[in-house]
Amino acid sequence: MFPFARHRHRRARIATVLATAALAVVGCSSTPPQASAPPAGGGEAANSKIFMAPKFTGLAYFEVAKEGGEKAAQDLGIDFQYIGSDKPDATAQIATLTNAIPQRPAALVVSAIDGDAVAPALRQARQQGIKVVTYDADAAVDSRDLFVNQLSYELAASTMLDAALMNSPQGGKAAFISASPTAPNHTAHVRIMKQLIDTDPKYSSLSYVDTVQYAGDDAQKSQEIALNLMQANPDLKLIISSSAVSAPAAEQAIVNAGKSGQVFATGFALPSSVRDFIKNGNSAAFALWDPAELGYVATTAASQLAAGKITAAEGQEIDAGAAGKYTVGKDGEVQYNKPLMFTKDNIDSFSY
Amino acid sequence: MRQFVRRNSGELLLVGLIVLAAVWSSSLSPYFLDPVNLLSSATSFVIFALMAFGLYPVVVQGEIDISLPSTLAVGSVLLGKASVAGVPLALALPLVLAVCAGLGALNGYLVAAVGLPSLAVTLGTLGAYRGVAYIIAGDAGVVGITPEYTALGSTWIGIVPVSIVLVLAVAAGFALLMSATSFGRYSFAIGNNAAASRMGAVPVVRTRVVAYSLAGAMSGLAGLVWVAQYQSARGDNADGAILFVLTAVVLGGVSIKGGSGRVAGVLLSLILLATLQTGMQLANVPGTSQTLVIGCLLVVSLGVPRAIALFRGRRRTLAPVRTDPPHGPDDPTPAVLEKQRG
Repeated sequence: MFPFARHRHRRARIATVLATAALAVVGCSSTPPQASAPPAGGGEAANSKIFMAPKFTGLAYFEVAKEGGEKAAQDLGIDFQYIGSDKPDATAQIATLTNAIPQRPAALVVSAIDGDAVAPALRQARQQGIKVVTYDADAAVDSRDLFVNQLSYELAASTMLDAALMNSPQGGKAAFISASPTAPNHTAHVRIMKQLIDTDPKYSSLSYVDTVQYAGDDAQKSQEIALNLMQANPDLKLIISSSAVSAPAAEQAIVNAGKSGQVFATGFALPSSVRDFIKNGNSAAFALWDPAELGYVATTAASQLAAGKITAAEGQEIDAGAAGKYTVGKDGEVQYNKPLMFTKDNIDSFSY
Repeated sequence: MRQFVRRNSGELLLVGLIVLAAVWSSSLSPYFLDPVNLLSSATSFVIFALMAFGLYPVVVQGEIDISLPSTLAVGSVLLGKASVAGVPLALALPLVLAVCAGLGALNGYLVAAVGLPSLAVTLGTLGAYRGVAYIIAGDAGVVGITPEYTALGSTWIGIVPVSIVLVLAVAAGFALLMSATSFGRYSFAIGNNAAASRMGAVPVVRTRVVAYSLAGAMSGLAGLVWVAQYQSARGDNADGAILFVLTAVVLGGVSIKGGSGRVAGVLLSLILLATLQTGMQLANVPGTSQTLVIGCLLVVSLGVPRAIALFRGRRRTLAPVRTDPPHGPDDPTPAVLEKQRG
């Protein structure tokens, strides 16, 4: 900026900087400036626009949920846009959401990558009359209208343990791979699974490695961790992960290590990613829910909020047609709660 | 005039690209040209900008620091904890900046005094500082930040967010630092030839440690902006941000080999990246296409000056691959370069 500096100019420059700073302080305010009105031509059409923002784009799970959202939009006759960065970090998602607001969608359907960090952007959206529905991963309660929860943490934990027992009916030692220590759903899943093993007689044949490993939804890292877990615990029977990336990657590591039939990976996974394992008999069961239907329900709920059919008050009913009826619970939480268990008998009936 | 163009070719190219990007963005989306929206989108880049300015002197010295986002996380969680504990910001901020500067100084010491490669050192501390941030924050992170700490994210001067003013002030500060102080002169000298600088009585170790400390402190300041804008702090704050920061520095014409580069270039490249990303996001361009465009831009901005030089047949100037001549005021090499330019 000042490529040809000379010392005698230094004082003048510093003075300029200070003077500018002083001027700046004088004009401070703490009310956000308002953008000018959106360009004309909106009207009715502009009010039926719904944006879906996954944690990040390109992950199969979110792409399947997007298809559900698209289908809902088709059924409801509204405009649907899938937005987001392909980078799994909070700043990228915040930028996406910030830039969604001026486009005035009727509602945002969001899976929050950092539920607290995205909250200010979502609050700003709500202030401007945009309805906010979270799905898959929630944001701070006061920053959204509804949260469509795929499975309550308790149901998710017991579903994964059921899948574990289907793999190893006589129980045995289990190890957990989680996504990251800051993902509230993943940490809750592990905590509740440990509690269930400790207290519920149904799962008393299981034991666990106390240390939880984090793979950050990365397939390569999950494989490494799975391999290390098997080497460190020769008596290991099960590797359980609620990350749809880590669970199939761990099974791959087991197959690669030639331990198929002795150690089993299970947890949540897309059926397409574990079809071969289940058909080859490497694993008896993986679990999940239908991400497409989850996307369908969340988009339908967003549209009903935007149309004023519901207000997100406790006890109200969301009618998602063929996808079922759901009641709004405490803190605007809607329980979808339809676990699916993938086994040899049904794996071929799932296309995603 | 010709000399002006030649001396500022990198910056002029960036200005041209910004104009093109703005025209393209406004054709992509009718919402782009609204100044309030534009400024509010720009606040997303403040964190990257502060780290980029902090990284700039380090790169000028021919080194690298990829641990900055982890230092940011240590800063943000410390500030978050201090806020929740009721410590006044006036006390917490200097302490946190000092801690972050200390983390930077440790990098600098290992690089300059122990002589370890900077990529390896900061790759290590990238993980180590991240771990420290996780330990401080705990699994759940920190929420319930007090208004005192979030004021920076919710104050405007007219329609301009204060965090944008902060970036401009920091840019001016670094421009002064690198052009009008002995630190700046030493930095360019070290980046051009560290061994010769040492012989020439340049305090190489001290200058490097100062640069790394400054980078750490800037990351701490970015941590304050994080806490202020996002009203929360977690161990994984800004994880992965270094790629964007490095892109901004390199796109700004700061040679990764050291010895050249200007604040104006870094600032312009940040504006260009912000313009492009905001435009594409306002038009809901898919994420993968956004990444592709930014990647191509980087290659083009580095390739065009070289292609022009090739076209003009100035093959001799190509030997040191520089898109931008060094501009340190008492830089030891401009004369040599001028001679090469013929």
